[in-house]
Amino acid sequence: MKRHIIAIFTLMMTLLALPAMAQDSDTLAVRTHRWFSLHDIKLEGRVGFNIGGTAPLGMPATIRHLDKFSLTPNISFGVSATKQFNPKWGLKVGINFENKGMKTDARVKNYSMEIVRGGQTLGGWFTGNVVTSVTQWMFTLPIQATMMARKVRLRGGLYASYLTYRDFSGWAYDGYLRVDGPTGEKVSLGHNEGERGEYDFSSSMRRWQWGATVGMDWYVYRRFGIFAELNWGFNGVHKSDFHTIEQTLKPIYGTLGFTYLIN
Amino acid sequence: MKYFNHTLFCILAVAALVVLPSCYKDEPLNAEADIEQVELTVDNPEQFFFQLTDARQNVLSTDSVISFTVRSHADLTALAPTFTLTPGATIVPASGSTHDFSAGPVWYTVTSQDGNWTRRYRVQFMPQVVIVNDTIKYDFEHFELEPDKHKYYIWHNVLADGTLGNDFVTGNPGFKLSMGSAPPEDYPTVPYANGYEGYALKVITRDTGVFGRMANMRIAAGNFFLGEFDVQVALLNAMQATRFGKPFMRKPVKLMGVYQYKRGATYQDRAGNPVPGRLDEGQIYAVLYRNHDAQGNELVLHGDDVQTNPNIVALCIVPDVNPTTDWVKFDQPFIYKEELDMELLANRGYSLTVVFTSSIDGATFQGAIGSELIVDQVRLVCEEEQ
Repeated sequence: MKRHIIAIFTLMMTLLALPAMAQDSDTLAVRTHRWFSLHDIKLEGRVGFNIGGTAPLGMPATIRHLDKFSLTPNISFGVSATKQFNPKWGLKVGINFENKGMKTDARVKNYSMEIVRGGQTLGGWFTGNVVTSVTQWMFTLPIQATMMARKVRLRGGLYASYLTYRDFSGWAYDGYLRVDGPTGEKVSLGHNEGERGEYDFSSSMRRWQWGATVGMDWYVYRRFGIFAELNWGFNGVHKSDFHTIEQTLKPIYGTLGFTYLIN
Repeated sequence: MKYFNHTLFCILAVAALVVLPSCYKDEPLNAEADIEQVELTVDNPEQFFFQLTDARQNVLSTDSVISFTVRSHADLTALAPTFTLTPGATIVPASGSTHDFSAGPVWYTVTSQDGNWTRRYRVQFMPQVVIVNDTIKYDFEHFELEPDKHKYYIWHNVLADGTLGNDFVTGNPGFKLSMGSAPPEDYPTVPYANGYEGYALKVITRDTGVFGRMANMRIAAGNFFLGEFDVQVALLNAMQATRFGKPFMRKPVKLMGVYQYKRGATYQDRAGNPVPGRLDEGQIYAVLYRNHDAQGNELVLHGDDVQTNPNIVALCIVPDVNPTTDWVKFDQPFIYKEELDMELLANRGYSLTVVFTSSIDGATFQGAIGSELIVDQVRLVCEEEQ
């Protein structure tokens, strides 16, 4: 429910921004013409790096320590078109191809997990270390209202992503599993391949993600600029009927990069 | 620039809040409720136990019955066992409280630190029953589905006093880890209805599926043996999971019985590759060994030394368990490497294992899927008591 409210709020803000872009002195015809004219659309190319994680909001108590967190090649590149309605306000749409990946190694206690392979399931409560590797290559379509403030353009809106490649896998190691629950058989898992519990939840990942995006572009030199943005996912990376990992994991990534004004 | 700094700061701050370890919650309380170890301190342990090491027992996570074997004249009316539990767990009645075990077992309930989980344990002290018969019968008639999840069969042997024991175990609990959805009949060790007389025991070499390949344990040879199966190390070090042997107080002289053997089609190595020309074989054997080392520590044989440990004093290996068309009788003597120390024997200082397996190299996960050994009417003949 909360995420719907945030989404609707963001959408409303975007829509409310549109009338504000008009200047009162113009006639409706002039206004309409200017709004739908395409000749002043600015095209931009961009390349950036996604920094962030696919994580629960707030660390659950079962995760005791994040021993390692590394970013995978989270490149984001794309193009965007910005329609300026007046010197201050505009609308920006784009398409990005990007990866939102990460690799973590966390120490867990009583962490509910399940290894599912070939129709067989081994699940229970695990205490030990868990390596998680996430790769999500996707096309992202952001739509944002923009506001110029001197050399800086602030923007905010929504995005939708379609995943073309998804991987959520890893292994539990150096610990023990209590099969089916804390009073079940205790099964030790070792360190090396073959001794540890490999899991793969890739096929339980959603194809579609969406969320809010806010950012800023700063035009530094001629056509070159830099940008920073935050993309906050509203839905979890896994389908809603996936409960093996108790917490909903949401993709929350910032992007830093360069822009180039094409026209 | 001001905007830039501010926005960047916000982004990084939010990212940090999400992914960085700035927000660990308090450690959850322990949810496990195990008795990990039991110890009994008595005034004259030599008069009470056969071996001093019998006073302390490590408890497997799968066990809910804890049984001490004591001398037949031991006084059980006021014993105060102490327990090592999962950290934070509590036990009722209290650890160290005194109870009368002469009337039968005492039940203990362990509650986890978080209060949400409990386990019940039965603790019993069993005076050693004198084996009066020279021949011990293993007929495989007493089996049931394991009471917890009903996933696989377990067997009970008939003890000297006519009660049922749990001395024989199988690798079925290990197979369950890899093939949790298999019906009980598809496990490697199953009862066989058309026995030589009544039910027989059937052990089959099974495919362990995707999990098995993942763990490089592609097959599970059916097995059935006198000892314990420690499922905790089954994935980590499978050879250590099979703990062969139970203390035995008679001198065995031969092992008899009947079997049938069917050979699986393709012998495969550990990597799962077929080995042309190699033929699978079943195995039936018994081993008697000293169950303490020179330093007085308890010793048990495992998959990697069950026929080679220097503590072994006698071996009885039924040769050439090859394909048969009908029941084949076997009658194999124990070959002794050294004289038995009769005092040690009388003090449970020797352990015996009897093993049946469908693939001779099953311990190293080699053999032919489908190899099948059926045994019945097994008799362990001991030397007559003077």
